[in-house]
Amino acid sequence: MPLPISLLNGALIVGAAAFAIPIIIHLFHKSRFQVVKWGAMHLLETVIRVNQRRIKLEQLILLLVRAALPALLALMMARPIWIGAQKLLGNAKTSTIVLLDNSYSMQASRAGQSNFSIARDEAGRVINNLQRGSEVQVVLMGEGGSTLEDAPTYDTARVAQEIGKLDAGFGAAEVPPALDFAAGIFNQMHESTRNVVVLTDFQRVSFEATEDALLGKKIEQLKKMAVAPSITFFDVGQDVRDNVAVDSLEFSKLMVGVGQKIQIRSNLRNYGDASYPDLRVYFRVDGKEKSVSQVSLQPHATAQVLFSQAFDTPGSHVVEVFADADPLKADNSYLASIPVRDKVPVILVNGDPSTEPLKGATDFAEIALQPFSAGKVEMADLISTKVIKPEDVNAKALSGAAVVILGNVRRLDDGQLHALEDFVKHGGGLLVFPGNRVDPAWYNGAFFGDSKGLLPLAIGELAGDPKENGPTTSITTEHFENAALDLFNDPRNGGFSDVAIKLWFKLKPAAAGNAAGAATAPVILAHLDSGDPFLVEKPYGDGRVIACSTALDAEWSNFPMRPAYLPLLQRLTVYLASNVYPPRNLDVGRPIVAFLPAASAGKKAAIVTPEGLSVEAPIVKRGERGVVEYAKTQRPGLYTLTAPGEPRIDYVVNASRRESDLARLSPQEIADFAKTHGVTVVHSGNEYRQIDQTQRYGREFWKPILWLLLILCFLELFLQQLFARSRGARPLPV
Amino acid sequence: MAHVTDFLQPSDLKSISNLQVLARGVVEGFCSGLHRSPHKGFSVEFKQHRQYVPGDEIRHIDWRVFGRSDRYYIREYEEETNLRATIILDLSGSMNYGRNGTTKYQYATRLAACLSYLMVGQQDSVGLVTFDTKVRRYIPPRSRVSHLRVLIDELEKGKPGGETEIGKVFHDLVPKLHRRGLLVIISDLFGNVSELLKALAHFRSAHHEILILQIWDRDELDFPFKGWTQFDSLEVAGAKHLLDPALLRSAYLSNLATFRDELTKGCRRHRIDLVPFTTDEPYANALAAYLTKRRSR
Repeated sequence: MPLPISLLNGALIVGAAAFAIPIIIHLFHKSRFQVVKWGAMHLLETVIRVNQRRIKLEQLILLLVRAALPALLALMMARPIWIGAQKLLGNAKTSTIVLLDNSYSMQASRAGQSNFSIARDEAGRVINNLQRGSEVQVVLMGEGGSTLEDAPTYDTARVAQEIGKLDAGFGAAEVPPALDFAAGIFNQMHESTRNVVVLTDFQRVSFEATEDALLGKKIEQLKKMAVAPSITFFDVGQDVRDNVAVDSLEFSKLMVGVGQKIQIRSNLRNYGDASYPDLRVYFRVDGKEKSVSQVSLQPHATAQVLFSQAFDTPGSHVVEVFADADPLKADNSYLASIPVRDKVPVILVNGDPSTEPLKGATDFAEIALQPFSAGKVEMADLISTKVIKPEDVNAKALSGAAVVILGNVRRLDDGQLHALEDFVKHGGGLLVFPGNRVDPAWYNGAFFGDSKGLLPLAIGELAGDPKENGPTTSITTEHFENAALDLFNDPRNGGFSDVAIKLWFKLKPAAAGNAAGAATAPVILAHLDSGDPFLVEKPYGDGRVIACSTALDAEWSNFPMRPAYLPLLQRLTVYLASNVYPPRNLDVGRPIVAFLPAASAGKKAAIVTPEGLSVEAPIVKRGERGVVEYAKTQRPGLYTLTAPGEPRIDYVVNASRRESDLARLSPQEIADFAKTHGVTVVHSGNEYRQIDQTQRYGREFWKPILWLLLILCFLELFLQQLFARSRGARPLPV
Repeated sequence: MAHVTDFLQPSDLKSISNLQVLARGVVEGFCSGLHRSPHKGFSVEFKQHRQYVPGDEIRHIDWRVFGRSDRYYIREYEEETNLRATIILDLSGSMNYGRNGTTKYQYATRLAACLSYLMVGQQDSVGLVTFDTKVRRYIPPRSRVSHLRVLIDELEKGKPGGETEIGKVFHDLVPKLHRRGLLVIISDLFGNVSELLKALAHFRSAHHEILILQIWDRDELDFPFKGWTQFDSLEVAGAKHLLDPALLRSAYLSNLATFRDELTKGCRRHRIDLVPFTTDEPYANALAAYLTKRRSR
């Protein structure tokens, strides 16, 4: 039979071994006695004979009291709890954590009452009915959980009041991480009677088989805590099925320049049984309605609506697609923050310059990236290039650039390499083209760094035949998965069949042992007909690197003179430059981060939240720039950041659409869930209150131990005086 | 040879030199002194004449009176006796106790020396008995000044140690002290109280005046020991007790009070003076106080 006592700080019970200290002191004193040669032995022996048993008893009592003191102190500090008096201590104070599902699915309503308003009211009642002196914390389950209060509080009235002000619409609820979060909070709570009340709508997506295993694991972890809480799931869901959601937005371009038209495809899904024959879908840009489209949406069907937009000004823009369907508004719109660029600055590092036209390593690339400027056409290029020599590569030169292209660069020194690594690590893009001047030793050494460096794959032997009419290879026509190359999946956009490559490096991965240490594996984007990789991509820090196996100029191939060269180079460059960092389209709960000039450090940025509140966030200096971080992004919607002297930046927080399917577990499935995991499920406030009465048990009893400790301290003093009677016994006069 | 000043400081001698030891009762003696005898006899101081009756010794007839009155008169003298005192000194091991410089035995020998000096000084005779389980030395009372040296030597030679059976020793001593006198017992009297009182009664039945100078060490009265202490017996080899004295102090003091009470009452019953001394008080002062008290009675 298990002990009816458990310990909150079990490790401290080891201190109880200190009970041996008084015994050791007793034995120590007894062993270090003084010797007195005594004459009046007949007086003493009579006393000893008469009092021997009494003295032994007194000494034993004193020793027991003294030994009990440290043992009790250790026991008190270990915070013992009495868990054996089930139902006897119904008035015990409790530590209660209320997990409130505030995901957007809780906005689903029936007869004008949403699931969340039911949950909110019941949570308030649960808290108000707690025994006086109980402590409480509320965890909002939207996206992993956040707490209502900074710390658990005994002010239950205030918590109940604050719950009344809450609103749903905070992302998707994930029950397992929320339970994990609750387990952590219990470490800050003090009462031995512990409750977890999960108010949820039992949405199928949150409790389906894949989630259920993890959920079961977390429930078991809670049950194995030193003080196992009672776990109650409170079903506050109503059977509401009708829901239409804008699931996602797709963009026709990786990057948008000023004046460029971009097509936005919105994907709509009807999760319910209702039919929407003429669903109106609105397209808004920067909050202004631009167009409206009508679509017919059948039950459980999907539909797409296409919008196009050209932006007049550079900077941050927000597009929104809104379907005016059901009362569950949270997933009826989808927003996206689009940075519109005036120019994409690209640095071309020419490793083989030439005075003859088109003989330099980057001459073709420069034209391909700025075709309108090169052709003297009255149109603006999105990309602006700057050609520098390898020796000019440094942090300053790279600052402000979106992409760096290395063309036939022999090698860089350590400082330059470090600057380049830093550039990519912080979101920059790097394109690497070899040539006849490269130093394979450096490329395979510092640049490749045993798979940990910038270069995705090591450079192997040079393949092919340099002779004029020798054999050549070409780029394999295949289905390209990468966004930079998917343009070529459509034959109308041209192909690589006429590309003849005479020389190329065989790109090879590192030896197996070394490759294991690589952070991320490189991905081969395209192959040569010879079977060797043509383009290889590797993420590095927050940026990306793409390496090509042949030269950028026309020395090793005819590729620069073929039609596919220009779109490929443009797409690769834009793809690398489209990596907006820090990201502006975020999931719920992800922090907003903005990089600003170092001069802004110390000032404050203003952030306007979806509720319209304006909050200030400090700009702190980190390295060579000022950084703003704002983590309270539990509410989906638009967050606008404005820093002094800087253009506005829009951040969009979109909730996962996994909650859009409002299907709930059936009553039988809910009963099975309760049975499987050994938890209680209630469906009404009355049911909860009845069960709550039977679940209360256990009480932390360090206070009585403290009193006992104090009493024993005084008792020890009293007994010592009583037994010695040294003060009361006066010596006899002569 | 030891000298009296080895035991007595000049200041001590000064404080007791004006005092005289007066025995409570009348003790027979050969020498004249300051102690009056109730017996009318034929000694130094003339008391009265009485008419001769047949049977009187002819040598006691005052022939001068006969010459003047032609009648036979006998001269009667008031006899002045001296004090025949015997100091009985305890040599038991318990007398060797003394943590603070002076042992009880040292203190006792000084008291004995004081008394001896006083008594010899006023031409009383003083004897000495030392004992532990039996009588170790018996020096009969003498009143000569040179006798004082004998006593002092004996006091110096005495070495306390071993057990004591004070009652038995006193019983054995009674026949040896066949002439009644003052017995000055200097001892801690540790032992069986009833046996002791019986022995003292035995002395009293032999018409001895008894003065007990009971010697205490302050530790024996206060029992001030702290912390674990092993008490090794000074009398019985190997007898020891390890204990926390603080826990026993109260009981010890209670036991001590009972012991002293029984002793005091017993002595009072047998008209014996019991005077306690502690070794930390000036013994000469205490002795002087006692002698003053004796004189006033």
